[in-house]
Amino acid sequence: MWGRYIRRRLFQPAFVLWLAATLTFLAFYFTPGDPAQTLLAASGAGPAEIAQRRAELGLDAPLPVQYIRYLVNLLQGDLGQSWLHGRSVARMIGEQLPPTIELSLAAMIIGVFLGFALGILAAIRQGTWVDTLTTTLAVVGLSTPTYWTGLLVILFFSLYLGWLPSTGDGSFQHLILPALTLGFALAGAIARLVRARVVEVMGRQYVLAARARGIMPRPVLFIHILRPAIAPVLTVIALQFGFLLGGAVITESVFARPGLGKLAIEAILWRDLQVVRGVVILGAVVYVLVNLLADLAQAWLNPRLRDELT
Amino acid sequence: MVCHLFCRQIKFAALFVLLFSAVILPACSSTESETPPTPSRLVYGLTLAPSGLDPHLNASSELGIPLTSVYDTLVYLDEETGQFVPGLANSWTVSGDGLVYTFTLRDDVVFHDGTPFNAEAVKFNLDRITSPDLASQKARFMLGPYNRAELVDEFTVKIYLDQPFAPLLDSLSQVYLGMASPAAVQKWGDEYQLHQAGTGPYVFSDYAPGDRLLLTANPDYAWGPELYSRQTASIDEIEFRFFTDPATRSPALETGEAQIMGEIPPQDAERLQADAQFILQPQPIPGSSLMFFLNTARPPLDELPLRQALLYGANRPAIISAVFRDTSPVAYGPLTAVTFGYDPAVKDYYPFDPARAAALLDEAGWLDTDGDGMRERNGQPLVLDMYLMGWGFMPEVGQLLAAQWQELGIGINSQIVSYPEALAIGAEGGHHLIPFTLSGSDPDIMRKFFHAEAQFNWSKINNPTLDSLLTEAAQTADRPTRANLYSQAQQQVMDQALILPVRDYVNLNGLNNRVQGLRFDAQGWFPRLIDVTLAAQ
Repeated sequence: MWGRYIRRRLFQPAFVLWLAATLTFLAFYFTPGDPAQTLLAASGAGPAEIAQRRAELGLDAPLPVQYIRYLVNLLQGDLGQSWLHGRSVARMIGEQLPPTIELSLAAMIIGVFLGFALGILAAIRQGTWVDTLTTTLAVVGLSTPTYWTGLLVILFFSLYLGWLPSTGDGSFQHLILPALTLGFALAGAIARLVRARVVEVMGRQYVLAARARGIMPRPVLFIHILRPAIAPVLTVIALQFGFLLGGAVITESVFARPGLGKLAIEAILWRDLQVVRGVVILGAVVYVLVNLLADLAQAWLNPRLRDELT
Repeated sequence: MVCHLFCRQIKFAALFVLLFSAVILPACSSTESETPPTPSRLVYGLTLAPSGLDPHLNASSELGIPLTSVYDTLVYLDEETGQFVPGLANSWTVSGDGLVYTFTLRDDVVFHDGTPFNAEAVKFNLDRITSPDLASQKARFMLGPYNRAELVDEFTVKIYLDQPFAPLLDSLSQVYLGMASPAAVQKWGDEYQLHQAGTGPYVFSDYAPGDRLLLTANPDYAWGPELYSRQTASIDEIEFRFFTDPATRSPALETGEAQIMGEIPPQDAERLQADAQFILQPQPIPGSSLMFFLNTARPPLDELPLRQALLYGANRPAIISAVFRDTSPVAYGPLTAVTFGYDPAVKDYYPFDPARAAALLDEAGWLDTDGDGMRERNGQPLVLDMYLMGWGFMPEVGQLLAAQWQELGIGINSQIVSYPEALAIGAEGGHHLIPFTLSGSDPDIMRKFFHAEAQFNWSKINNPTLDSLLTEAAQTADRPTRANLYSQAQQQVMDQALILPVRDYVNLNGLNNRVQGLRFDAQGWFPRLIDVTLAAQ
């Protein structure tokens, strides 16, 4: 039963990866701006030299030829060389991956804890001022751009209090402020969802019935409410990984941290196709894996779902 | 029960650690204080992670800030006299036809990896830069009509050109043509940019891309040019970090995380200036001004009076004061005032004169016939397309210009586009107005903008007089003659109103007041780190 389920779940990833690669290619070629021209902008090279560079990069070939070359390289597992840096893309990504994972995980932990705490609090104090306050906080977290929250925490914790370094990477202290910034935004999204789910489950008949009989002390009630309530939240948390990668781009820039986000931005700005492709493919792989894990976890939490899926 | 046992053990352990730290640690630290003092250290904030850090391959200005101290160059440009002085080359001669440069090299220079510097190394570097395999983004083009390098003996090398090229020495004085260790280049291949080795006063010791770059003083350095005040570097370690978000630069100085920071935003500069703990050191940059190209090939800007009206109608001092808080001078011509060859005569062109602008428009038949505040001619409204890049304060400047021109009845459609897109629009001529700027100490930079065949000929000008002036100037060695040719070229550009110059570039450096002796080279961007000292706290 599990085997069939997992097997089916593996066809989708291949399709998602192909789609991501193809969309990247198309987006790249239909975005105005020429890589050869961009690379040579500061050189003063004339139009003839730019055309020559374009040919050297293989950009003068017809679109289908370029697309096939692009896919073939990818199937061979060759991420290629950066046009801008002349270095191996795999190596460049390898360098920037650890700080991004570090930041994403730290933000995820903060986001999940804070999100659940606020969400549950709001749900059990539904309709009171506690609910209003936490819900408002959640909306603020959700809708405040991280570059702004980032600057605020720098101003307060670094400049005013002087507790933590505002920029850079290398120690646990350096991680706190960026993780808080990113985690706060994430907590907003999770808190809203958790609150809605818990309120909904609390209103279900079996819970009402159990409560009416007065046989369930609070902790037990919690287990019976939370388990069904959090299953869908898991999928959303997995989806938030995409948000984390996106949010990390800005956060990395505000806190002068290295990472994939900065690498991707630079590559896009310079039309460095190989690097853009490498980062997108990596993002797609992570996305697929995390979603797979979330689905498995959901199925484990909710046996009925297991039967439906298989 | 189990906990009982363990907890007791943990308590004992904790007690032991406490005792240990109370008794043993102070003893350790007291012995430490007799050892040599901790190395002096400075954090230098760069404003963007350099887009590639190999000076032979990459093109960014940021890379030169650290690497000018890692690589030495054959010659150096004295920013005060405008003369070239010996570097790795003791002396040089130029053949009468300007086609052959012969360099006699120092014989006492050693690369950071211990290999000796000689004529073979110079040839290796020039071969690498010009090789199609490297696909250089800048250095190759700085060599102009370069043909080849030839060894004469161990310490003599000749460079052959296809045509005379006056900017050659200027190019050879820049880090992009710095001398790298052939052994290190061969050893590391594609990964060389993480393991660079030159002969300069600082050694490239550790580079974590996107995070930081660490330089350490080269204790053996003894071959610096006369432009350096010190023989070896004073500060042991300089760490470069990247502050891409402008809003974070000043705070990093204020929290003490960095001691030197480039490109402080003008509004933060005011705050730093008011604080005695910090020094604001504005550095004018030679090269082109920030200029808006007026596309002479796209109607209606093919009409000179209309272009002139745009210039008369632009209140540049107001823009400088609003956007740059008066930290940059108003630009009047294509070259900034600190560039060799700059002709102050451009200052007399196009003062802010809205009445004159309106008169020019009226004469050309652009009138507001329907009373909507916008001018039109033969039913055609006067509306121009302006494209702006998101950096260098171009959106802010563009917005103010549009407002000023709107008052004259000229409509502006402005759009912010990405750098690659702007380059494509400029090349194809899809714009009426588009800004750009480049830095560089040699006025040959004008050829990149105003020669008919130039990459940045965004005014779409095809003027044989201008072409021949710029070509001749590039091939003329005599400085006064060159300067004269460039002043004619600048006047041509302004006579025809090909550009609206806005601002001379000034890099606002913020310094902790302990930093002393920071000076920049002739390019304006690159610090002479060897001379920087750090006062005691």
